[in-house]
Amino acid sequence: MTDLIAIIYLIIRNERQALARGFALAFVVLVMGVALLALSGWFILATAAAGMAGIGILFNVFAPSAMVRFLALGRTAARYGERILTHDATLRAVSELRVSLLRGLLTRPYRALERLRANSELNRITADTDALDGALLRLVIPALAGSAAILITSLVLWWIVHPSVAAILAAGYLVLPTGVFCIGQGVAKSPARLAEAALQAGRSRMVDLLSGRDDLTVFGQLPRARDHTIHAFDKAAQSRRRLDQIERQTGMLMDMVTALVTSGCLMVGITLVQADVIETAQAAIGVFAALALGEAVAPVRRALSEIGKMTKAAARVRPALKAPDLAWDDPKPPLSGQGLEMYNTTFATQGKAMFKPISLSVAPGETVVLEGASGSGKSTVLLLAIGALVPAQGIVRALGCDPAQVSMDAMTRKAVLVTQRSALIAGTISDNLRLADPTASDAALWRALETVCLHKVLQNRGGLDLKLGPRGSGLSGGEARRLILARAILRRPDLLLLDEPTEGLDDATADLVMTGLRDALPNAAFLVAAHRQAERAQADGIVPVIRA
Amino acid sequence: MRSMVQTRKSEMIGAWLSVLASLIWLCGAAVIARVLGRLLMGDDVSAIAAGAALFLLWALRTATEAAAQRCLSQAAEAKITELRQEIVTREAASASASTLAGEGALAALVAEKLETLRPALLRYRPARLRVLVLPAVILCLTAWHSWAVAIVLLVAGPLIPVFMALVGWAAKEASARQMQEIGQLSDLLVDRLAALSDLQLLGAGKSTVETFARASDTLRQRTMAVLQIAFLSSTVLELFSALGVALVAIWVGFTLLGELNWGGWGVPLTPVAGVYLLLMAPEFFQPLRDLAAAWHDRAAVDAVMDELAAWRDEDRAKRLGHGATEPALSHTPSIAIQNLHHRGITYPNIRIEPGESLALEGVSGAGKTTLLRLIAGLEQPDRGTILIDGVALTEENANQWRASIGWMPQAPHFFNGSLRYNVGLGAPVSDDTLVAAGLETIIQDLPRGDLTRLGERGAGLSGGEGRRVTLARALHGAPRVLIADEPTADLDAETARRISDSLLQFTKDGGTLLVASHDTALINRLQKRVSIQRDTDAA
Repeated sequence: MTDLIAIIYLIIRNERQALARGFALAFVVLVMGVALLALSGWFILATAAAGMAGIGILFNVFAPSAMVRFLALGRTAARYGERILTHDATLRAVSELRVSLLRGLLTRPYRALERLRANSELNRITADTDALDGALLRLVIPALAGSAAILITSLVLWWIVHPSVAAILAAGYLVLPTGVFCIGQGVAKSPARLAEAALQAGRSRMVDLLSGRDDLTVFGQLPRARDHTIHAFDKAAQSRRRLDQIERQTGMLMDMVTALVTSGCLMVGITLVQADVIETAQAAIGVFAALALGEAVAPVRRALSEIGKMTKAAARVRPALKAPDLAWDDPKPPLSGQGLEMYNTTFATQGKAMFKPISLSVAPGETVVLEGASGSGKSTVLLLAIGALVPAQGIVRALGCDPAQVSMDAMTRKAVLVTQRSALIAGTISDNLRLADPTASDAALWRALETVCLHKVLQNRGGLDLKLGPRGSGLSGGEARRLILARAILRRPDLLLLDEPTEGLDDATADLVMTGLRDALPNAAFLVAAHRQAERAQADGIVPVIRA
Repeated sequence: MRSMVQTRKSEMIGAWLSVLASLIWLCGAAVIARVLGRLLMGDDVSAIAAGAALFLLWALRTATEAAAQRCLSQAAEAKITELRQEIVTREAASASASTLAGEGALAALVAEKLETLRPALLRYRPARLRVLVLPAVILCLTAWHSWAVAIVLLVAGPLIPVFMALVGWAAKEASARQMQEIGQLSDLLVDRLAALSDLQLLGAGKSTVETFARASDTLRQRTMAVLQIAFLSSTVLELFSALGVALVAIWVGFTLLGELNWGGWGVPLTPVAGVYLLLMAPEFFQPLRDLAAAWHDRAAVDAVMDELAAWRDEDRAKRLGHGATEPALSHTPSIAIQNLHHRGITYPNIRIEPGESLALEGVSGAGKTTLLRLIAGLEQPDRGTILIDGVALTEENANQWRASIGWMPQAPHFFNGSLRYNVGLGAPVSDDTLVAAGLETIIQDLPRGDLTRLGERGAGLSGGEGRRVTLARALHGAPRVLIADEPTADLDAETARRISDSLLQFTKDGGTLLVASHDTALINRLQKRVSIQRDTDAA
């Protein structure tokens, strides 16, 4: 609950003005609705009384009838304005929330990012933020505007009708719905959470089913995975049914509250009229106001069905928002040092050194190759060099500073690490390349492609506009590899760290690509984790990485 | 599972109950009008009786309405469950990914977008029925007292459906655009999230966030466009309704004053009738407003249904068999490929004896991977046959055949689970399998050993380590035939040699080995080699 309040506060802070206006209009809508019905009721009974008394000619009909028309038109306009204002502000805030979640992810340490399950993060960024859009629209604004309208109406009725009618209205509409909400909230919480959790589980399992369908088929697990997915959705449906039931019951209770208050106002009105305390027209005001205020308490039903989902979503979203701000657009000048040095460096997992301490030095324009068996720690050395990991011992100096002390953003402006995985995305070739440099011209993209011998392959297949499928599918392994290298060139780094850059390429192409990289970046320092001759050919030095 | 007929029936019952609930309210309004009118005329009215009558009628209406919603929500639930099962089942049965939507978009369809059907299923049909019944009833009740009021309602009423048709048309288009955007946003995110660690090392973190911020903002605009149409339409309806109430109130007031003498039937209007007319006016418009709201929900439904129809129409490649476990073959079979032609590639005829090892060579994109998929029955060939022990591979025997295969794909998918789960896919894994695949030292180094959770692309493991996990997965079921796609790609010579040793050990133990590879060191150790070439008829 505190998480939900914190997020509501955050949204209000960002969109203060629009929401304040929206709230004011929501209040106006309710009050005008009450006034319209009450005034019309009073008008009819007052005119009838005047007509019966034969003093119809003296009755001022113009002020009330003008007022009725004004209320009718004004309420409609206020309603439209309120909806547009509050929805626009909320959607804006939710969109902002989504972006800060993604930004928050990027501040996580490298190892955490690497193990990230895209599906659950996707849920957090899309479904959870969507759940939060109701927090203001269906919880805070209706509650505040409704209470304010009930209070104001009661006060006015105290004055123009009778205190007892006002008391029934205020007590019935403020106390009973609040009670229903507080009790119902506890009851609805668990099915709402279960429904949401099951739906998200179903979603994740669906993605696993779609991405892993070949593997699942060969290993005979396809029907099981399918049933597992359907089971999650069935679970969601089950909780959903329970939630629907609670929602219906709340709706019934709210309806009965309105019935109780209206009947109460009618009975008190009759008694007061018969005791000659008030006029019939005044009694009518009480009854019609009670009838109209039913609208103010109706949102409790919807709020109840959503609050469980909202609190859960808020609990998941808020921790991710607490992340420190990324130092983007850091005004500090970019790193001006050059080359890479490591002295007696190693990395440790669970207190055990991973590889024997290594020392190396790469000057601008030089290529140094790391050699060693798979799993000996070559990739780890590259991650140490860019500061994604912190060494257990020894010194690392990349581009003249300790990379662990510099922000990842400052580091990657001058240094690039190309990992073994092919981090390609769905979209065109140019979308993929421009991830590295959004402002690059088409000509620059083609030059980068030429460097890695990919331009001829792509020319016949749609060029920069060739569409790749999810995760870059549509390219062969070797083509994907070269596209990633081309992307690294676009950053024009001073320090280029490559993890098995020519995997999947035949020897001749591998040679051409390595030469192309060097020609494109003549003054950069290269550190390459390699096991192929082509990658070693132009090495100025070879450093063995030996498992501890 | 409820049948379709039952679903229909409970939908109908629900709709009629909701009509009944509205009719009961007309009686409740009559009580209010009668009590206030008689009170004005000085008649004796019992406060208790009046309050009790109003409260009881109201309770009856509420109960009827609740029963209506119960029926309707059951019907909606049944319909959504049915669609979900259809999508999951068909996707599971298809051999390859849909070209229309990525994983993220399909998951969004099956989870969130189908949920958007619920409000329409709950509201649309009962609202339509109420529109058919209630305005007519109220119009008759009104005309009985005053033709003038009836004419006000009659004129304002029919304008509404005309206006709604126009709005519905625009709303559908806007909803479709919004739905598309929701799917695209999910697709865009799922890719970038999976690659986030690598994108950051590339320095692309900022541009990733910026692209996403733009996409998110586009979605906001599309959503707002849909909402604007919805708000505009409900505003117009509210305007009609409010003006209707205002006109009726003014006519009734003036008539009761004696200032207006037309519009009735010659009999003086009583205060009871006056109040009743006032209470009826908003009720006349209410069903129309409900329909307008539901109409808008329906626009969202149409957009989702169109997307579903496109998905249904897509011609999807089918695989052989249903992908369940069946008892494996009791011996190592021979494999033969005859006159195979698939997706524009003609494959050479190949025969592999039990216990043989065969390398498929060829440039990237020549169709090596496709041939392996065809042999595993993951795709149905356009022409030609694959013979297992001389028997053609068909729908019936594909499952048994696959139970005898170990499969090592080039780009494996790692499931949401521990490393051990990723080897056995739920079945218990013997330590021998882990040792045979050389996983035991890797497991020792992981933070939580064999219970460490893996990222989708096996993040947390190096290329060689990930490959060993797939080897362990392939060896896990004690297969007769091992099919491996580029088993040594991304590996250094030493690790590649050790993986190759494991593969050759498998043939020494009597298994058949089928490998697609570029790795000459591995190819040279195998008994046979076949070259696959694109654009040739037969090799």
